[in-house]
Amino acid sequence: MLSPFEVNLLRSLEIGKLYSIDEASKVAKISKDAVLKAAYLLQEKGYAEVKEEIKKSYRLTEEGKEYLKEGLPEERLFKILKERRKIELSELEKEFGKTLLGIALGWLKRKKAVEIENGKLVLVRDDVKFEEKEALKLIAEGKWKDVPRDVLRTLLKRKLIEEDEEKEIFVKILQKPEVELKEFITDLTPELIISGKWREREFLKYDIRIPAKEIFVGKTHPYERIIRECRKIFLEMGFTEIKGHYVQPSFWNFDALFQPQDHPARDMQDTFYLNRYVDVPEDLAEKVKQTHENGWKTGSTGWGGKWDVNKARQLVLRTHTTAITIHYLAKHPEPPVKAFCIDRVYRREAIDPTHLPEFDQLEGVVLDENVGFKDLLGLLREFFLKMGFEDVRFRPGYFPYTEPSVEPEVYVEGLGWVELGGAGIFRKEVTEPLGIKGRVLAWGLGIGRLAMLRLGMKDLRKLYQPDLGWLRDCPAIRR
Amino acid sequence: MPVVTLYWDELERLVGVDRETILKRLPMLGCDIERVEDDHLDVEFFPNRPDLYSVEGVARALRGFLDIELGYKHYEVKRGSWKIFVDPSVLEVRPKIAGCVVKGVKMSDEVIRSLMEVQEDLHWTIGRNRRKMAIGVHDLSKVNFPLTYKAVDSSFAFVPLDFDRVMTVEEILKEHPKGKQFAFILAGKDRYPMIIDSKGEAISFPPIINAEKTRVTEKTTDLFIDVTGFDENVDKALNILATMLADRGGVIESVEIIYPDRTEVKPDLSPKRMRVSKSEIFGLLGFKLSDDEIKLALERMRFGVEKIYEDSVDVLIPPYRADIMHEWDVIEDIAIGYGYDRIKPEYPQTNAIGMTHPWNEMREIVREIMIGLGFLEVITFTLTSEKVQYDYMRRRRPKPWEGFVPVMHPLTEEHTIVRTDILPKLLEVLSQNKHHPMPQKIFEVGDVVIAMKNRLRLSACITHSKANFAEIRSVLQAVMKELDLSWDVNESEDPAFIEGRRADIIVSGKRVGVFGEIHPEVLENFGLTNPVVAFELDITEIFDCGELI
Repeated sequence: MLSPFEVNLLRSLEIGKLYSIDEASKVAKISKDAVLKAAYLLQEKGYAEVKEEIKKSYRLTEEGKEYLKEGLPEERLFKILKERRKIELSELEKEFGKTLLGIALGWLKRKKAVEIENGKLVLVRDDVKFEEKEALKLIAEGKWKDVPRDVLRTLLKRKLIEEDEEKEIFVKILQKPEVELKEFITDLTPELIISGKWREREFLKYDIRIPAKEIFVGKTHPYERIIRECRKIFLEMGFTEIKGHYVQPSFWNFDALFQPQDHPARDMQDTFYLNRYVDVPEDLAEKVKQTHENGWKTGSTGWGGKWDVNKARQLVLRTHTTAITIHYLAKHPEPPVKAFCIDRVYRREAIDPTHLPEFDQLEGVVLDENVGFKDLLGLLREFFLKMGFEDVRFRPGYFPYTEPSVEPEVYVEGLGWVELGGAGIFRKEVTEPLGIKGRVLAWGLGIGRLAMLRLGMKDLRKLYQPDLGWLRDCPAIRR
Repeated sequence: MPVVTLYWDELERLVGVDRETILKRLPMLGCDIERVEDDHLDVEFFPNRPDLYSVEGVARALRGFLDIELGYKHYEVKRGSWKIFVDPSVLEVRPKIAGCVVKGVKMSDEVIRSLMEVQEDLHWTIGRNRRKMAIGVHDLSKVNFPLTYKAVDSSFAFVPLDFDRVMTVEEILKEHPKGKQFAFILAGKDRYPMIIDSKGEAISFPPIINAEKTRVTEKTTDLFIDVTGFDENVDKALNILATMLADRGGVIESVEIIYPDRTEVKPDLSPKRMRVSKSEIFGLLGFKLSDDEIKLALERMRFGVEKIYEDSVDVLIPPYRADIMHEWDVIEDIAIGYGYDRIKPEYPQTNAIGMTHPWNEMREIVREIMIGLGFLEVITFTLTSEKVQYDYMRRRRPKPWEGFVPVMHPLTEEHTIVRTDILPKLLEVLSQNKHHPMPQKIFEVGDVVIAMKNRLRLSACITHSKANFAEIRSVLQAVMKELDLSWDVNESEDPAFIEGRRADIIVSGKRVGVFGEIHPEVLENFGLTNPVVAFELDITEIFDCGELI
């Protein structure tokens, strides 16, 4: 089966004649690339022969061009000597310069035209020929074939000319297979369909192995795909999605979560504070104040010291989504509540492969009357099972606003047990001042951690500083 | 969180089991093992358990947890005749002091190092970087009792630790490394806390530095420890140090603190008592335990069980436990003592219907449209700078707060504000990806923050050598059609785009976005060499995207 280009080439070229690609392209009226491709294909099928020839050519170097214009140095020296016969070398050196004089002298000596006597240069022959000059002229005109080989060699040696090698390709048709030359259908056109003419002809069979042009797919960011998976799991488990602003008062980010005001996590070292203060709900603030100072009615001793409402009023870029979940629970204090939040949080950290100043976090809470620690573990096991982690185990953990606290670990082939987020039951010092009735099971994890496990990433920066090559190569399917 | 280095030979000797058992069980007590070496291991303990910041404390906890030595450990305090007089002048500055004498501890390098490490960890955690509490450790033989704790002025002078000359308080705060490091705690004060002995010589300038004369050396056998601060954290830290040194074989002697209005005897190593109700235990854990199980779990965690009643348990809390604020803190320890690995997880029966948030639903719809149009989704940081957001875009900088949100103390020049537009972030992406094949079509649908509130935006860019206005207009037309919106355009004045090739997007008479060909000066600013066409659309201006907290 021949392609249209092959057919075209077979038809246009004469058997046995050698064509350069240029010539064949003109005769067959197809591009040089197409000729080349068709010629090789025909050669494979035994209809043509492709020959490669190395073509030599010469061209003048910069020095050569100058000599052609100004004359060869030896020629110039010869002209002067012809008039004056005998000249002091020192005088010549002034005129030519040391290098050029050396060159000129050398060549005239070789031609036995001069001798040196007592520091003077004497001309001893008048009939000197300068065929190199002639040769330079021929080469400049492209007639290098008229230049004798030894002169070419001399000029090459003197670096007045350079040799170019070019590969030229020729094609010769060996035979024309009559049968194959009938025209096949390449593009199936509306005309062929409507007229029914396609019935009379055969379809050209394409080489199905040749890769076609690459096109770039529009697709979801791999990270969004993980977030979507988490959302799906939460929704299947009956959780309501919540969302909050990135800018939050310290009150919801820290104080409502019983984070003492002098806690290191509240340092400006770790938190992006904003130089702006807002009002906080007065009734809640009073109860939170008492809880921090003396435990209020929660049965706790509190942190002692003085709680300053002004610190609670300062805005921050939220450091965790718990700022949103706790506020949501304060607005919906009656059980049962099941809520989740997957969103951006901020930490004042310098960027490196595993630390980012902002990242996404997932968090789920269950508020109910008769739920306890074993229910939290049950939730975690179910959640991770749905994420594809079949083996989950639990270790004690610590978070300032939960008691008991737990660090879940999942088993990952090749990595072993990997810590994946944290969980716990909100302390009474958190829930009671906000009027939340019942116990709150809560867990959260950084999505980056999941991305590392899912996408095998070592550098989290890639997630937020897009490399289009990586995104284009990231398959839609999960392996 | 503090990372504690524990040496195997000490730890194995003090606990009485091999390292395999320790490695296996230690994490179940609550910590992260950071590194395991031949001679030591580094363990990160949680900030609520400062009593575990020493090998003695860890050994004590492990002996309970591994059933080697159960229950409450009693610590003896011998009545000493040591006295500290608290002068009224210091009550305004740093009102609380406690102390103890420890006799008969051999001060090997190992012990000195361990003591200094614990001191630093306590300073950092309980002490909040020495603000709330600071510790001084002295060679008892160099201290002349009774002591006076008083406030002095900045001309008071003594030879501070690591120096060989007399320095005034003022000089110490300016020149001594520790003075410079901790001067912030005393900033704005004109009186300074000082512990002075009966010869009138300072032994400590809390919370900054001790005097050179009471330096602890290998020859030291008896110690005096002072702890100063503001509240009960002073006692907590002292108790942790005293019990740790008692575990080293030290004999603890009490110190009398004579305040103007009262006298205290420290350290108080007697247990606190707490009544924990069984219904609270069962409720919080979600399952029932027998009396024996409760007792064993508590004793493994080194609590004392004084009496178990029908409905409650009387628990003795060791003096070194600084974290027990609430009944629930004890219940967590019951769970740990029982073993997290023995608890049977159970999926809660709480009934609720799952619901998505309109904000994210909207993002899903927009994402589907953009992907259908062949655009690649990107995600970028929301932190950025005025330079990239406005200057590079030839746009005027809006007023802070009304427009963008500036962060205090940014870490880099690139992250000084939260973005108000996505388009500059996309141009940044293009500038970092010039080496990838064209055409490039990218979009992001995400949050910007304007006047401190989140808004939902969609922005998209196309770049290749022939990108033009018509191309982006047909994309935008498709988007608006899929969003079922009737819309109009106005001549735009947005300087980020080329005049005559830029349009404001109008929906219901409101400007909701902009599109067109990016101005070549903007391209230059981002180092782009191919034309870019783009649009940005404020989804929250058009659709109700739900309630945000």
